[in-house]
Amino acid sequence: MVGGFSSLLWAGAILCFIAYVIEFTKDNSASMDNLFLGIVLVLVVILTGMFAYYQEAKSTNIIGSISKMIPRKALVIRDGEKKEIPAEELVVGDIVEIKGGDQIPADIRILDSQGCKVDNSSLTGESEPQLRSCHFTHENPLETKNIGFYSTTCLEGTATGMVINTGDRTIIGRIASLASSVGQEKTPIAIEIEHFVHIVAGVAVSIGIVFFIIAICMKYRVLDAVIFLIGIILANVPEGLVAAVTVSLSLTAKRMAKKNCLVKNLEAVETLGSTSIICSDKTGTLTQNRMTVAHLWFDNQIYRADTSEDQKAQSFDQSSATWASLLNIVTLCNRAEFGAGQENVSIMKKIVMGDASETALLKFSEVIMGDVIERRKRNKKVAEIPFNSLNKFQLSIHETDDKRFLLVMKGAPEAILEKCSTIMFNGQEQPLDESAREAFQTAYMLLGGLGERVLGFCHLYLPEDEFPDTYSFDTETMNFPTSDLCFVGLISLIDPPRSNVPDAIIKCRSAGIKVIMVTGDHPITAKAIARSVGIISANSETVEDIAKRLKIPVEQVNKREAKAAVVSGMELKEMSPEQLDELLKNHSEIVFARTSPQQKLIIVEGCQRQDAVVAVTGDGVNDSPALKKANIGIAMGFAGSDAAKIAADMVLLDDNFASIVTGIEEGRLIFDNLKKIIAFTLTKNIAELCPFLIFIIAGVPLPIGTIVILFIDLGTDIIPSIALAYEKAESDIMNRKPRHKKKDRLVNHQLALYSYLHIGILQSVGGFFAYFTAYAVQGFRPDLLLYLRPLWVDDTINDLEDSYGQEWTKYQRNHLEWTGYTAYFVAVMVQQIADVIIRKTRINSIFQQGLFRNKYIWVGIASQIIIAVILSSGFGSVPILSFTTLRVQYWFVAVPYAIVIWLYDEFRKLLIRRYPGSWWDKNMYY
Amino acid sequence: MSKEEKKLNPEDNWRNFIYNPLTSEVLGRTAESWGLIFLFYVVFYGFLAALFTFMMWVMLQTLSDETPKYQDLIASPEYEDSMQEKNIECESGIFFEQKSRSKLACKFSLKILQVCSGLNDSSYGFDEGSPCVILKMNRIIGLKPEGNPSIQCHVKEERVNLVTFPDAGKIDLMYFPYYGKKAHKNYLQPLVALKVNFQPGSEEASIECKVEGSPNLKNQDERDKFLGRIAFKVTLAH
Repeated sequence: MVGGFSSLLWAGAILCFIAYVIEFTKDNSASMDNLFLGIVLVLVVILTGMFAYYQEAKSTNIIGSISKMIPRKALVIRDGEKKEIPAEELVVGDIVEIKGGDQIPADIRILDSQGCKVDNSSLTGESEPQLRSCHFTHENPLETKNIGFYSTTCLEGTATGMVINTGDRTIIGRIASLASSVGQEKTPIAIEIEHFVHIVAGVAVSIGIVFFIIAICMKYRVLDAVIFLIGIILANVPEGLVAAVTVSLSLTAKRMAKKNCLVKNLEAVETLGSTSIICSDKTGTLTQNRMTVAHLWFDNQIYRADTSEDQKAQSFDQSSATWASLLNIVTLCNRAEFGAGQENVSIMKKIVMGDASETALLKFSEVIMGDVIERRKRNKKVAEIPFNSLNKFQLSIHETDDKRFLLVMKGAPEAILEKCSTIMFNGQEQPLDESAREAFQTAYMLLGGLGERVLGFCHLYLPEDEFPDTYSFDTETMNFPTSDLCFVGLISLIDPPRSNVPDAIIKCRSAGIKVIMVTGDHPITAKAIARSVGIISANSETVEDIAKRLKIPVEQVNKREAKAAVVSGMELKEMSPEQLDELLKNHSEIVFARTSPQQKLIIVEGCQRQDAVVAVTGDGVNDSPALKKANIGIAMGFAGSDAAKIAADMVLLDDNFASIVTGIEEGRLIFDNLKKIIAFTLTKNIAELCPFLIFIIAGVPLPIGTIVILFIDLGTDIIPSIALAYEKAESDIMNRKPRHKKKDRLVNHQLALYSYLHIGILQSVGGFFAYFTAYAVQGFRPDLLLYLRPLWVDDTINDLEDSYGQEWTKYQRNHLEWTGYTAYFVAVMVQQIADVIIRKTRINSIFQQGLFRNKYIWVGIASQIIIAVILSSGFGSVPILSFTTLRVQYWFVAVPYAIVIWLYDEFRKLLIRRYPGSWWDKNMYY
Repeated sequence: MSKEEKKLNPEDNWRNFIYNPLTSEVLGRTAESWGLIFLFYVVFYGFLAALFTFMMWVMLQTLSDETPKYQDLIASPEYEDSMQEKNIECESGIFFEQKSRSKLACKFSLKILQVCSGLNDSSYGFDEGSPCVILKMNRIIGLKPEGNPSIQCHVKEERVNLVTFPDAGKIDLMYFPYYGKKAHKNYLQPLVALKVNFQPGSEEASIECKVEGSPNLKNQDERDKFLGRIAFKVTLAH
């Protein structure tokens, strides 16, 4: 409500009040027009301000604030007594007790715990409940099990702990204060609109002042000069633009929300469109966030499995007997189970109890074979050793159809291989000789090199004589063989990329957007995923790759030859800002692996030093500073913590990278459409301004009144300008480079000049034609009107003679003046119809774009006509609104000009298309 | 912006903007570009001016030289074909309608204003403290008042009396209709004079005059205080 156009309107309103007061003190019966206009201006400022605020508030999905997460009470032991005190009164050293359902009131070190589990998701984004105990397990406070964090929730059990940090010094407090201390830059669209306001305000103020001086020199009264000044300001300020821009942005925000991008801050809509670098998380954003079988190795051959989201059947060769055995092991040596009551859910969507790898294997076998549970029932499990990190395998023994027991085992490949003496080949057991070992090693290295988690599988049929069906297995004493087993195969698992991500990355590349992957994963895995989604393209190499290919040490490689780079968090730590800049500049494909969320902030700052508009994804509380710092922070809807969602500008509802790209497309489209909206809105400002200028200079009766101007700006023009927001892109907007922050302005001089000096002047000429016609047909020919003003406005002259010798009273002249306003208004409206049609495109012909593809344009045109008909058919005849009932033929007076506008613009676009890069193109394309 | 340019101080930037010797650009454009711009605007605005002039010319062609196309804003004349008496002799009390291209005007004799004619008293009674006020009706082309129009004046103060000339403020119908400035060159609209006589002791007169006796001449318009009526004040100064 302050700043920008509002301040100009405030100035106009204040001038109005001053003019009224001066008039009133001179003459008690002074007309109320100025007072009325002042009040209207104040209302316009307040209403458009409120409207913008309402739109902003409506689409800003306030998810809640950090304060909501802060616990209220704490149970503390002081002086040997248990007391409940407000959480903020806790001090370091207090002993507090927590139980299931409580929020932890401060950072505490656990002294004693009974099955206490906490939900750290608000902090780390990890939704699994975490066990807390008094054991120190890690040096990193975020990893160790004996620390409970402020604001996290205790889910079950009880615990006693000592307060080690309170308030802002807690982990979350530090992050929150870091997040709030990170300065946020102005959004690009805010900068653009500011730039635009400067242009328009500059034009308004300079024309206003010039004509104020001219008016004074022409011996107008100062009061009159002030009133002219108000008119000039009013004509120049596009009152309806704020509303139109806000509505357009929120329409786009709505459209984006449908595509799973929930925008919290309307301006972020466009920021996304000007993004030039995306720093994306890997897990869950680029990948599906679930382990899936990627490759199998048996019969000395690697098979590829389908890893898409909705795998129905696996297509690799399944005829081998080895495969049958492997599948048997996969099925039986697995503790994961489907949750109950999911008969109608597709396999991939079923909820499974079990860890990520086992879930992947269970679903894999269910897809291939169906009814795994039935098979497990037939082969009853008689003994089991679950996986542990010490022996690195999992083992179970099952009954089989032929009365023998089957021992199945899976685990780390090298650990499994050690326990084997034979290997299965085409269903036949063969001794595990050196060549077989070598084949295993090659396959293992290859799959590991793809960044996949590899598991080995082996089995052994226990001889019936030694192990009769009554044999009792004891897992403590291991009264069964665990060596000399038969190795069957390898299965490798990966969190596969989302299937639409590679396409999205290609789109980004053609749109000139650099995608940087930032992950906590191991560099090998990170690189493999980066390659499979195309972040590192197929033919580009890292420095290490080149070194390997040329067989020279890494140091000797010319770093500029490598397009890609994989940088680990440790390396990043050692880098100076200059080195980081160098890295970001020289490599187009960058992967940051093993990075901590804190390092994201450093990466974002590095990118911003390159003048880039940076989008960053994140989910944990730790990501908040980076999300805040980024030009556009994108939080994950599923995996994201509340803190991340608060810090972000946008929430990705499906956590999918591809959604960001569709969001970018929308953002670019709205930038183009905002250009069209502004061009449309600015045009008629000249048609509103010229009447005042001619009025001052040529002394004609005023062609258009201030109230009528408001009716154009806030009446007939609003809906058509919003309708332009629905315009489709003219060409593939994802094939051009991101807009350069400083070069590609929203409002450039071409746009301003074309709108002001071409179409705007054309419209003024059309308007004046209607105005002169309206006067001429009533008896005042154009030559008489020149310099008629002093007589025209004189209240005491009630017999002013017209060109035909008739005499007019003052009131009759007023009535004619309002007819002139109405005629001018209708003429501008008719030409604005042509204007909205030509603004549909900036380079293509209207016919290429299609006249009817955007139906809202027609709604807009209909609204223009309806509003004008209502105003000029009697409803606007209230004296203060200064409209009169207009003859039908006035509606057609400006039609030739509307046609000229359209033809001229088609001509302009034709020349631009024909002669790209020419003088015409440079000066006429906005 | 290249690095070298960045080093320039802002003043140099300005100077370069106004005239850049390297590219010989003035205000960011070469002379050729400026020339093209100038040429373009000359052609464009020339075309606009021609278009405007042409359309104005066409519009003005549609207008009659004698009467405006519309007169709805100044009166609502009713044209009745039955009223067709024609008298080129300017017969009193009858409309003087003419069909020929150039219309004759009736003579308005000042004599009927008697003491307010100014023929004998060039001060129009102002010297004696009983001033004459001349009243007239605005000219409207084609207007034919119905009935017997007259200008009636009333004064609020009791000690002031009014005399109108001609008698009863009569407006003679022979002065209607009016055919417009071009055709009806020597037309003179009828005048009515009002003499305000102050009796001793009175110094002020609030007077209202209205056109009466004619159903189609309005004198009660709410918004237009000067349509068919006028109110004014005469103050006697010593």
